[in-house]
Amino acid sequence: MANEAEETVRKLSTHRGVLGVIVVNGEGIPIKTTLDNHVSVQYAGLMSALVDKAKSVVRDLDPTNDLTFLRIRSKKSEVMVAPDKDFILIVVQSPLE
Amino acid sequence: MLRAMVKRALKRDDDTVLITKTLLRLNQKESSKSRSNLVDDEALEWLKPRTLLKPDEQEDVPEAELDEEVGRFLTTINPQWVADEVAYHYGQGKFVKKPKPSFGKAYPLYIYQGTAIRKDSEEAKAQIAAGYGMVGFDDAGPKKVKVKKSAAEEEEEEEPEPEAPPPEEAKHEEEVLEEEKPVETVEEQEAHPVEEEHEEAAEAEEVIEEAAPEEHVEGHEEEVIAIKPRVKKLANQFNFCERAALTYNLPRRSVETQTVPPPRATYGATVLQCIIFDFYQEDYARKQREKEEEKPKRLRKKARKHAKSAQQIHDEQLAQRIREAWTILERLVNQNIYDDIAQDYRYWDDPSDEFREGMGSLLPLWKFQFEPMRSHAVCDVQWNPHYQDLFAVAYGSLDFTQQQKQGCLCLYSIKNPAYPEYAVITESPVICLDVFKETPYLICVGLYDGNVCVYNAQLTLESSYQYKSDSVRDKHSNIVWEIRWGARLIDGEASFFSISGDGRVVQWAVMPGELQATTIITLRTDLPPLPGPDGTLLTVNSCGSCICFHPEKADIFMVGTEDGMIYTCSLKYNRNYVRSVQGHHMPVYRIHYNYFNNSIYASCSGDWRVKIWEDGRDEPLFMFELGSPVGDVKWAPYSSTVFAACTADGKVYVFDLNVNKYRPICVQAVVSKKTKKLTRIDFNPILPIVVCGDTKGTCHVVKLSPNLRVMCKPPKKAQGIEQRTLQIMKLDKLLSLVRDPPFQTGVVDEKFEDD
Repeated sequence: MANEAEETVRKLSTHRGVLGVIVVNGEGIPIKTTLDNHVSVQYAGLMSALVDKAKSVVRDLDPTNDLTFLRIRSKKSEVMVAPDKDFILIVVQSPLE
Repeated sequence: MLRAMVKRALKRDDDTVLITKTLLRLNQKESSKSRSNLVDDEALEWLKPRTLLKPDEQEDVPEAELDEEVGRFLTTINPQWVADEVAYHYGQGKFVKKPKPSFGKAYPLYIYQGTAIRKDSEEAKAQIAAGYGMVGFDDAGPKKVKVKKSAAEEEEEEEPEPEAPPPEEAKHEEEVLEEEKPVETVEEQEAHPVEEEHEEAAEAEEVIEEAAPEEHVEGHEEEVIAIKPRVKKLANQFNFCERAALTYNLPRRSVETQTVPPPRATYGATVLQCIIFDFYQEDYARKQREKEEEKPKRLRKKARKHAKSAQQIHDEQLAQRIREAWTILERLVNQNIYDDIAQDYRYWDDPSDEFREGMGSLLPLWKFQFEPMRSHAVCDVQWNPHYQDLFAVAYGSLDFTQQQKQGCLCLYSIKNPAYPEYAVITESPVICLDVFKETPYLICVGLYDGNVCVYNAQLTLESSYQYKSDSVRDKHSNIVWEIRWGARLIDGEASFFSISGDGRVVQWAVMPGELQATTIITLRTDLPPLPGPDGTLLTVNSCGSCICFHPEKADIFMVGTEDGMIYTCSLKYNRNYVRSVQGHHMPVYRIHYNYFNNSIYASCSGDWRVKIWEDGRDEPLFMFELGSPVGDVKWAPYSSTVFAACTADGKVYVFDLNVNKYRPICVQAVVSKKTKKLTRIDFNPILPIVVCGDTKGTCHVVKLSPNLRVMCKPPKKAQGIEQRTLQIMKLDKLLSLVRDPPFQTGVVDEKFEDD
């Protein structure tokens, strides 16, 4: 399991344009990251809040629905978030020109 | 009333002390005596209104007179008594002076029997003997003065009082009492130093001296006792003890305690619809669980045996969720990277096709590479029959002088060109594979070392293969060149066929836990047996190199050999070929049936040629020379006249017989011919894309330009005809032009019947 996760993180980070991969645990603490520490902490904190909000938006519109993934496209990069109740996976990728 | 009378009687004497004393006593008596009368009066009050009835002749008396008190005297001397009264005595016959009656001429108004007995009487003596009249201890320890008082009272009570005491007597008594008081105070002062030991002796003395005058006893006590003991009175018929006890009123007190207040916290939350929903779900789940628990124990035990612990389930689910999340994230990343290609593959068609009449091109899309397999060759490639984006790749080696030690089976998805979705390293290079159409996750592979395996792509990579042939007993003794799933056996087991360089075609039945091998046919040659080194004769089998099953007749299959022969065989006959054709002069690499016409098939070989055959005909219908060993040929699934071939010089040839019977409509170099060769090619069953593998472990996916996938236009007369029918008609029309002499259909079938 641990190896598998390790392998997946490595695999993902070798993709073209991927700037970083962050694994955040249920308490919002980054447990695995390929970015700098303070950046990952920032990402983890901000994304947890955003995910909660987004989730409540989706759930409130239809309680049987749920948030599965989140993509945020910005000028410089794209943040892809896989939220779960026990973890959050964050991948930051810069779009290719 | 009595009180008033006494008051009047005593008025004349100015001795107020006496009056008050007497009154006090009367008061005491009255309060105890008349309680019951009072109650009666009060009870009767309600009966009649208290109105005074006056008789008419009543004299009017003024108010002042009425209020005036009239004094009355009560004396012991009878005022009516005549001192010298005589009476005639009839017996003596003379007047006799009346004797003075003992109580005069008094009339007893009130007689009160005393309760005292005489101390020297018999009764008293008996009682003294029984213990009465003894001195006891009052453990309450009454104060001296009180004791004195009670003693004085006792004295008074003991005196018989048949009549109200005359004032003189009372006065006398009072004087006595007053005389006593100073004595008693002296007594108190003296009492303190007296020792306790004397007390018992004093008691005894007292009993003896009981008869002695009171004052003497008291005087005696004064000397001896500190605490005056109470003398038990002698009992007589009236002196009985009435005891009443009042229990102590326990003093009330209020005790208050204050408990520690429970901890408080302010809680605030927003109630959202989803939260309510979640709680309902939770509650529902709990109820279901409770219902489950109500089931009889026997059933539950059974269930529990198989059930995993909650933690385990949670972990597994978590792992699965993480895996899925990673997969999707990877897809997202890939989508970003290959966005343009993804757009092209769906929607972009080469516009230049319009100007190139009949000619097409291939648009390269993705290249699939697996890093550990860079030096391996793609020995087989096949699209998944179920998932249109998935294809399986067998990594082996075709360089037989420098054979690789390992192989690999990979499943790629065009959604993720960077990494295979599934990759499993095998012990030996993988030469061929086939995906089971019924369950597309079961893949059988043939290995370089002659073994065959079945892999289950649903299982984790650690578990590796699900079935493997027995390396000692069953396996081929040469490279397994091609492997194909066949029809299910009578028992329902899946089975597949493999052809190997050792000249055997083996059917493998997938039994639970093992593979069961049956040799279907051994490919013999026409060559005479060769003399061995020690004089024995060796029969040489021809080496099979490819196998192909008839699309409809499940027991007919064709085998290509390394010496270029194409044998048509049947599962029913393991000795004879149904038919044999010298197809090529070099190893046959592939035989492939047309999707629309079951009697048409294509073959390719190392002799640079691709041939199109018809069943029962010894000569090919078409023959194309491609200038390089042809690794693979495949019919297109969408058109009856289109097929593609790939050659060792890195080119892909696409033919459309309907467009051009002599030349390919597209020749495109997919890889550089200096470094790489193309080995295998496969059409996607749905999408207009082709995958081809090269010897450097890369799979190229190319898109067919519109000219390469021209569909049939239905004729104007019959618009409603299906495309498939049109395709069949197209091929038939083409064949009729080529056939010469006229072809007799059903040759294969007739041959069977002859046998």
